[in-house]
Amino acid sequence: MARRASVFAALLVALALATVASLAFGAIKVPFSEVIEIVFGNGPGGPDQQIVEALRLPRTVEALLVGAALGIAGAILQGALGNPLASPDVIGVTGGAGFGAILIIILFPGSIALLPIGALCFGLLAATLVFLFAWSGRNRGSATKVILAGIAMLSLFTAGTTGLLAAFPERAPSAIFFIAGGLTSSGWEQLETIWPYFAVGFVLALLLIRPLDRLALGDDVAASLGSKPQLIRLGAGIAAALLAAASAAIAGLLGFLGLVVPHVVRMAGGSSSHAYVVPASAIGGAALLAAGDTLARTLRAPIEMPVGPFMVLLGVPLFLWLLRKAV
Amino acid sequence: MKRLALVLALLAALALPTGASAAKAQRIVALTPFGANTLVRLGVTPVGIGQTLGGNERFSPKLKGVEELPLSHPNGPNLEQLASLDPDLVLSSPTWAKGNQAMGSLGIKVVIREPRTIAGAYADTYKIGQLVGMKHRARLQLKAMRARVDAATRGITERPKVMLILGVGRTPFTMLPNSWGGDIVSKAGGELLTGGVSSSSGFERISDEVVVAENPDIIIAVPHANEDDIPSLTEYLRDNPAWASTTAAQTGRVYVSVDNSLLQAGTDIARTIRKVRRAYLQN
Amino acid sequence: MAADATAVPLLDAEAVEVEIGGTQILRGADLRLGRGELVAIVGPNGAGKSTLVRAVAGLQNPSAGKVLWGGRLLSGIRGREFSRLRAFVPQRMPVPAGVTVREAVTIGRSSHLRMLGRLTAADRAAVDAAIERTEVGRFAERALTTLSGGELQRVQIAIGLAQEAPVLIADEPTSQLDLGATIGVAGLLRGLADDGLTVLLVVHDLALALAVADTVVVVSAGRTVAAGPPAAVLTPERLAEVWGADARLSEHDGRTALHVAWIDGPAALRAP
Repeated sequence: MARRASVFAALLVALALATVASLAFGAIKVPFSEVIEIVFGNGPGGPDQQIVEALRLPRTVEALLVGAALGIAGAILQGALGNPLASPDVIGVTGGAGFGAILIIILFPGSIALLPIGALCFGLLAATLVFLFAWSGRNRGSATKVILAGIAMLSLFTAGTTGLLAAFPERAPSAIFFIAGGLTSSGWEQLETIWPYFAVGFVLALLLIRPLDRLALGDDVAASLGSKPQLIRLGAGIAAALLAAASAAIAGLLGFLGLVVPHVVRMAGGSSSHAYVVPASAIGGAALLAAGDTLARTLRAPIEMPVGPFMVLLGVPLFLWLLRKAV
Repeated sequence: MKRLALVLALLAALALPTGASAAKAQRIVALTPFGANTLVRLGVTPVGIGQTLGGNERFSPKLKGVEELPLSHPNGPNLEQLASLDPDLVLSSPTWAKGNQAMGSLGIKVVIREPRTIAGAYADTYKIGQLVGMKHRARLQLKAMRARVDAATRGITERPKVMLILGVGRTPFTMLPNSWGGDIVSKAGGELLTGGVSSSSGFERISDEVVVAENPDIIIAVPHANEDDIPSLTEYLRDNPAWASTTAAQTGRVYVSVDNSLLQAGTDIARTIRKVRRAYLQN
Repeated sequence: MAADATAVPLLDAEAVEVEIGGTQILRGADLRLGRGELVAIVGPNGAGKSTLVRAVAGLQNPSAGKVLWGGRLLSGIRGREFSRLRAFVPQRMPVPAGVTVREAVTIGRSSHLRMLGRLTAADRAAVDAAIERTEVGRFAERALTTLSGGELQRVQIAIGLAQEAPVLIADEPTSQLDLGATIGVAGLLRGLADDGLTVLLVVHDLALALAVADTVVVVSAGRTVAAGPPAAVLTPERLAEVWGADARLSEHDGRTALHVAWIDGPAALRAP
């Protein structure tokens, strides 16, 4: 109990630091005192204010939301499928979203404004196909079927994406930032369209915490307690798909977070109780993405790098260290 | 008699270079529009020209009828198709690095000529002239090119700050002075927004914070798209919240250029500079 | 502790048929549970014992027949309400990492909690009571993955007890346990029945059934072929008919035993 509490506290501190860093640092130097003023509404105006308010603030919020969403998606999928390798990639969302985005970038560049919608729709389409296949035939909704269907769908869409990129290589640079995972400083416009998907996903995940604990004790015990195991898995799949598709629509393909953050949180806290793992994964994911994005924006400023590699850089050492200590 | 001897000597002198050029490369494949158009201006017609999938290459009308080889990654042309043309020389680009290697091992002479600056275009024009034994003609051509460019860059009244970007979406790459488009726009009188960055590739993804801080007067985007996409793309770029505070966005001076003239070296440099001045910089 | 024959039976299942994946497992089975009874279901492998208890517990849909809980049709009882009527303890529960005994038993209590509601004092008391009754308090804060087979089985029963349902259904709770652990679980279950809990068990061990059960139900080839007091049901004739065994059960001095002719033919005829 105490261990979980201290891990939670540490995560909150990390979140606070990452948020502050994300607002305070960037390609242009804005004095810290000025950042504080701007955040509390007493900004001096001018480009500095524009930078913090219109560029960094929405981007920070996006990083926190997407990081939390992916952390939660990974946590509930790992619980629902009872498999440590489960992540939003496994239900096909990332592959579908990638394909949807690249399709627009390469074949319909004039409709580029629809990029987030394209990623969202294809991400959800891929997840829907995975669920349809996994829920048909024998052993409906079994974890194995979901994972296998997900991998097949991922391969299918990845092949489509690669094919498009190979056929139109000069249009590929536009696609890099989506594939490698990257947030943009485009204000609130994307969030304004996409926030409902996050909201529904978060609420669903919250409601799934207790059912997932029941599922951890096996389908029979869950049934004994009045739950329907297949429904829990389906609910978790839907929540994860919504959160992952919405994340991909905004921040491209970020595969590492959803898989690793829940494990880090479990190993650090020594507990798999979903009432701990789900919120902790949210906070850990948010902190990691905000920190990674800040690094991606500042290390080679004013050049912006994709955020994916930085999260891996931050997360993998921690993950490996915990792995050595864990049984 | 003396006059006849003079005429014969003159004829012999004239015949010699052409005789020599007969010995030089005759079957040439040009995989870049720059190479193809330069050859044609030097009076040499290639036996094959490269055309990328979905590309908007601008070829001289004198190249009509020349066989087109579709270009795709990573080799560029289909090597069998290329070999069937039996070329003595291939003018290629660094993009087709793998293909260039393969062509070399087939025993075909490959020369890479893809200039990234106007000065480079001048140099490469001469070098191609050398390759095909048209040095004299190349020199004349260069003189004409330089004159045209000088005319095109006369009377520049303003030097607005220009952000030149490549790609679509909210993550475009900024084109730097050592890119083709960057050099053209600079020559046309634009001051390129670079954020102090330099890069060997000629373009980088620059933070929107720098864009806000440096406040460009004009934004020119070069996406890979079609003519019909220009209106929607222009609107999309104008509506980018990150750039809302810039002079460019507020005065509506956001432009989209879909032809390749700012992306890839071409031979119509003066025309491109004039277009940039007239349509975008308005200087 | 004999069943109260005049009251409505807690469970009344008639002519239950179950088909799984095209195979007919149960062809017509009956089962009746009275309050405070310990009923043991016995039978050869593949007879359909597990299927029968899973069907009456609502975990498996019957293809035919009637299952009534307290006079109400099973199909009409919703999941959460049903969890107040019976607790099902499966033969093997997956053992998740990172879950302590107390947390697991608390999960067993979760059917009493409102959606997103917190644990009340009554809930905590129920969890404590379940832990105490099954004597797992010694390792209540340990992870499930550190427990032995017998300890885990007790915890599984504690999870079921936390539901505070009047009926506890356990599918082969002792089949994986050694002698000592079996004795422990047997004593626990018998004690629960003595305290008024209705217990339905599937067991393999006939001597164990004789020792703990009030009623024994024999399932063979998908049908219930006998039901009644253990001594009356598990006669040598029955053992021969259903198990094809030359055996008899005996009870003496508080111990039960199954005497089996393991090898065909009397010992006297074998070579010395």
